[in-house]
Amino acid sequence: MQSNVPAWFGKCSLSAALIFIACGIATARFGHSLQLPATTARDGALVTLNRYVDNPIPDIVLTGSSLTFRLKEEYFETPRLRNLALAGGSVITGLQIVASQPQIPKIIIVETNVLSRPPDAALVERFSAHEGRHGLFFRPIRTAVAAYENRIHAPVSHAEVEASLQRLLEQPPSDFDNHVYVERAIQQMKEEYPISIVQKNVETISKLIDALEQRGARVLLMEMPYAAPIEASRASRTTSEIVHRAFPDPGRWLPMNLDRAELRWADGVHLDERSAVLVSRYLDERFLSRPNYARAPSKN
Amino acid sequence: MTFTSWQFGVFAAIVFGAYYLPPFRPFQVQLLVAASLFFYGYGQPELLPLLAIAVCGTYLFLILTLRQHRWLPVGIIFNLGLLAFFKYKFLFLDPKAPMLVDSAAIDFLLKLPLPIGISFFVFHNISLLVDLTRDKTAPVPRLADIFLYIIFFPQLVSGPITRAGAFMPQIEPKRLSDVPFIDAAKWILTGFFFKLYVANNLNEMTSYMDFPLYETLQTQDRWLLVILYSYQIYADFFGYSAIAIGLALLFGYRLPINFNLPYLSASFSEFWTRWHISLSNWLRTYLYFPLGGNRHGGFRTYLNLMIVMGLGGLWHGAGFSYLTWGLFHGILLVIERPFLNFLEALDSAPLRALRVAVVFFFVTMLWIFFKLPNFDHALGYLAGMFTANTNPNPPKLFYNLALLYSLPVMLQHLRVASLFEGGLRRWEPYAYGVLGALAYLEAGPESAFIYFQF
Repeated sequence: MQSNVPAWFGKCSLSAALIFIACGIATARFGHSLQLPATTARDGALVTLNRYVDNPIPDIVLTGSSLTFRLKEEYFETPRLRNLALAGGSVITGLQIVASQPQIPKIIIVETNVLSRPPDAALVERFSAHEGRHGLFFRPIRTAVAAYENRIHAPVSHAEVEASLQRLLEQPPSDFDNHVYVERAIQQMKEEYPISIVQKNVETISKLIDALEQRGARVLLMEMPYAAPIEASRASRTTSEIVHRAFPDPGRWLPMNLDRAELRWADGVHLDERSAVLVSRYLDERFLSRPNYARAPSKN
Repeated sequence: MTFTSWQFGVFAAIVFGAYYLPPFRPFQVQLLVAASLFFYGYGQPELLPLLAIAVCGTYLFLILTLRQHRWLPVGIIFNLGLLAFFKYKFLFLDPKAPMLVDSAAIDFLLKLPLPIGISFFVFHNISLLVDLTRDKTAPVPRLADIFLYIIFFPQLVSGPITRAGAFMPQIEPKRLSDVPFIDAAKWILTGFFFKLYVANNLNEMTSYMDFPLYETLQTQDRWLLVILYSYQIYADFFGYSAIAIGLALLFGYRLPINFNLPYLSASFSEFWTRWHISLSNWLRTYLYFPLGGNRHGGFRTYLNLMIVMGLGGLWHGAGFSYLTWGLFHGILLVIERPFLNFLEALDSAPLRALRVAVVFFFVTMLWIFFKLPNFDHALGYLAGMFTANTNPNPPKLFYNLALLYSLPVMLQHLRVASLFEGGLRRWEPYAYGVLGALAYLEAGPESAFIYFQF
């Protein structure tokens, strides 16, 4: 046996222990509030969810898929609004996390375009129990990068970006040719349409709405605009039919009467930045002009 | 059971604890065989009969070959047949063909799962048949020893591919006092660090190389991701091999080194002496030399190189992308061969640096065929590297994270570790402690070892 084995392992353990202690102290001191940069859609979801459960509960929260994810919070003039839409995720994941918190927003907007994905049980579990949600240690490299990124790209408010948003809106709609992406998206929609999952998800949404409205929130449904060929696809129409059949009350729905000629979809499905700003502005107007959205709970 | 799971940690600790206990000392081989069977069958016990058929069949042909040498090719064909059946059958058969589906027996056989690590243990089997039958007077090895050589759990799933002639003599009673604990710890810590810190974190970024995600990437990000994948696949496989070597040391066995700073290679032939060394050695010993190697003139040499590299590509997977990858490496070996002596004679550091860069560039570009086994997708990715993408919403990649997660591969290739063999020697244990802590704290999302699929 090598003679210096105990000394070698002692030193090795010592340096490892020091790193753990340093990270543990730093985590206890600074918490997990630093927003880690997102390298993937799931990473982005973690950032969004961390912020939602760590910060004060907003008045309005948007839940949905990557379609709604495009509506950045700084695009909205409406104060105390949070976008909890999860790129690549299910609307139910966000909705369940909202419902699991001790306090809930006054208005909850639920996007109903993409209902074919099952909820992410692991994410719901992770963010439902507030106590002990975070580990003892943060990730030192990511946290350091997060600190750097936050420093050079500090989160912006609507007031800070208003001028640039205005400039963006003054530009004409993009002439980017997205037909390849549209065709591919339609092809994918044709390949698989899990109708049973959609129906199950609609039932789950209905139960969650009941539970949330019993706690005083007002839940509104919203259909994000698609490119016309996608909207005409069988999958889109079937989803819309199922969800409208389950929620027939027009008062339950947030109208989306925008000028479609102004909207563009980079890949046929997701709005480009200018269009996302337009939709955000439109929603701002709805929120400001219809304060009764926050009226007493109603059942379908 | 994967090396990075907590279940494996518990399993390895229990086996190690029992292995050196005095009551188990006479049964160390049997204990390792039982542990390896548990390791292999954990979660997929239906694979165990297939493994048993492969090992027992090889043992039978070994005995027959020791009696009559004409059985050797039959034994090799038996093993290649296993590999062909499980891995390549759907190249030639349509699984939905009525004549196959209608027969219950054939349908059952076609639906058998691909045994994990079959590419590796079939090569072990062939090595066993060839190496142990060279000496006709050699005694027939014990079945338990044969089992251990083939299914020794550190190397079972993804190698290193150990030659029977190098492993079998190591089978003897082991003592705890002979275990090189520090060496084992260095290998294991390094392996976990490269897998968890480097490979798993880079995997998050290179997931954007998958179809159709890559179509949204900016052109410069396509280039970046190819380089990151080059680092990732190295870190992933080097990490696995390092853990395997370290684990084997704990049980008293020395497995061959599988990587030797491959991205420092100044020629493609040098690359294959530094990358997946155990596979290169196997292909050279059991395929290239029997084909005639370089002993029959230039044309035969080039042909042999192309055959070996083409089959080496197909060994990784039954797909046109893998074949293309292998054949391109063969072409590069053929092209450089006439100039190799001339280039080697030029003793110039800048020229060597240029050659290293050229080899790295081509090797890295060819990894695209590994990342995207669908040939059309691979070509689509390649084409996009040379055309501007006008997608207005490309994904954002954090270049600083890409650099920080790639850094260990770069530093390793700059031979930073050699500093700890000199003046910084006393800091070495502390450095390994840092690696261990970072492997845990900064581990990327769990992902399977890339070579598990082969």
